[in-house]
Amino acid sequence: MYLTFWGVRGSYPVPGAATVRYGGHTSCVELRSDRGKCLVIDAGTGLRGLGKKLAQEFRKPDGATYNLILSHVHWDHIQGLPFFEPAYIGDTKIVVHAPRAAAKELRQVIGGITRHEFFPVDLDAVPADFEFHEVVPGSAFEIDEFTVLPIGLNHPFGAVGYRVDADGSSMAYVSDTAPFDRMLHKQHFTAGIEEPSDEDREILKTMRANLVESLREVDTVIYDTHFTSEEYEQFPHWGHSTPEHALQICQEAGVRQLVLYHHAPAHDDDMMDRIAEKFGLLGKEANVVVCVAKEKMTLTMGEVTNPGIVA
Amino acid sequence: MKVRFWGVRGSCATPGGRYLRYGGNTTAIEVRAASGHRILIDLGTGVTELAKELMAAEFGQGRGELPVLLTHTHVDHIQGLPFFTPLFIRGNSIRIMGRELEGASLKEVLQDQLNGHYSPLYGLENLAAGLEVQTLRAGSSWPAEGFEVKTQLAPHGSTSVVACRITADGKSVVIMTDVEHAPEGISSELTELARDCDLLVHDAMFSDSEYTLRAGWGHSSISSAIAAAHAVGAKRLALFHHSPDSSDDRLDMLVQDAAEASSVPLFAAQEGHDVTV
Repeated sequence: MYLTFWGVRGSYPVPGAATVRYGGHTSCVELRSDRGKCLVIDAGTGLRGLGKKLAQEFRKPDGATYNLILSHVHWDHIQGLPFFEPAYIGDTKIVVHAPRAAAKELRQVIGGITRHEFFPVDLDAVPADFEFHEVVPGSAFEIDEFTVLPIGLNHPFGAVGYRVDADGSSMAYVSDTAPFDRMLHKQHFTAGIEEPSDEDREILKTMRANLVESLREVDTVIYDTHFTSEEYEQFPHWGHSTPEHALQICQEAGVRQLVLYHHAPAHDDDMMDRIAEKFGLLGKEANVVVCVAKEKMTLTMGEVTNPGIVA
Repeated sequence: MKVRFWGVRGSCATPGGRYLRYGGNTTAIEVRAASGHRILIDLGTGVTELAKELMAAEFGQGRGELPVLLTHTHVDHIQGLPFFTPLFIRGNSIRIMGRELEGASLKEVLQDQLNGHYSPLYGLENLAAGLEVQTLRAGSSWPAEGFEVKTQLAPHGSTSVVACRITADGKSVVIMTDVEHAPEGISSELTELARDCDLLVHDAMFSDSEYTLRAGWGHSSISSAIAAAHAVGAKRLALFHHSPDSSDDRLDMLVQDAAEASSVPLFAAQEGHDVTV
């Protein structure tokens, strides 16, 4: 199993000279099994580039099914969907797997970003067939050779992470999430930290324990590390973590490799270099390999049995 | 009068090394009068850069006032709104003007952009600054202190957008983005709006060959932008709303060809550049 980053940024895309090396597109990861089956994780602006590549690979008359697993539907995780080229090819099916955070149907919520006021082509009007599959934390499901386990996270309006097992190895995607000590994120606006009740603390404790358990011995974990610890102190109510928190979780879970991800828009390339250096060293002390996600970077999990595809 | 392009890209933002000279942010244009007044056209991702400049001045202290004219609400023209930091500072007064819509109101559409599913802001009411959303009839003059702003509806695929003529210091800039004129050319109403303007900022998303495959999508070819500039007697033309597929090198080539073909002096809009009108 191997993966490629198409978008590593949080909040909004950041073009310009300061983000050329790490990349400015929002969240999107291409996961491949050894035999080349693709599973797309999140549909930020990076999805446009991935979609072009997948459309080039597309061969009629077989048709094709594309599976996307979404952590949640904040704009930066879905805004690439209207620009996903396979949606405009006939004979394609796009299956979107996502958590449902409220009573509204997934089709309504995700299709809502293509209401005519927002986008000229309605999701229902594209040539591809869209299917929506609700994921539930703790309920694993199969997509091709991938076993996918959704994991509940601590983020405004709700989000899920995923552990994916295939080809005898494993990876996990843990974005977006806040740490599990200061505040339980719910479904209302918060202008600042909201002190957790005793019940909230219990929920957070369970959520954290469950995350660590789900990540147990995972090869590679991609983790929301939007903030430095200083920034986190200013914005603890925004629903994002720090490299320190991510490393702590990964160390407890016995993870081999942690990939810092969902970079804040203000974190330029030089700052990301400093973060990479600092947490590379701290990772060594914690016995976890730490690297920073970069657009177009490819990582392999376990032994890839058909390395020809990786190039 | 000065025009500054904060975002020149259409459809979606284009980070990366191939888009550094023209810029990758989606549409946002600031117009400043000698009096110091400013007006912003559109809220694409480019406004996140403008925000830094505004926050270093009076907007950082909650004393800023800004009129914003929305050409329309397609996402590439509004996606910077939730990240426009002056909106988070109490005391700032920001007024969004757009045309009346059918079906939903402009405020409802912007409210939906910030609904809890899509945004941790959960709605316009949580923006600390005073935000006013005002709908006006296109075809009339719109109020913005320090400027005269005339508007007109322009065709954009199955919908229409607001084109505007902004006048100050005896000069006029006309902004006509996300527009696809009828095959016979620019309408008489839009010609009237743009007549003899000093600068025409015009949608030029497609090369002529790209356009043949995308007629009806609501965007202009470079040739139709040139034809419109010629028809209205514009003194200068800025090609705008560049395709996300147009890298710097490709735009250089397209602009060079366009300049040779045009009787109106032209350039391609570049992010961060000030144009004196």
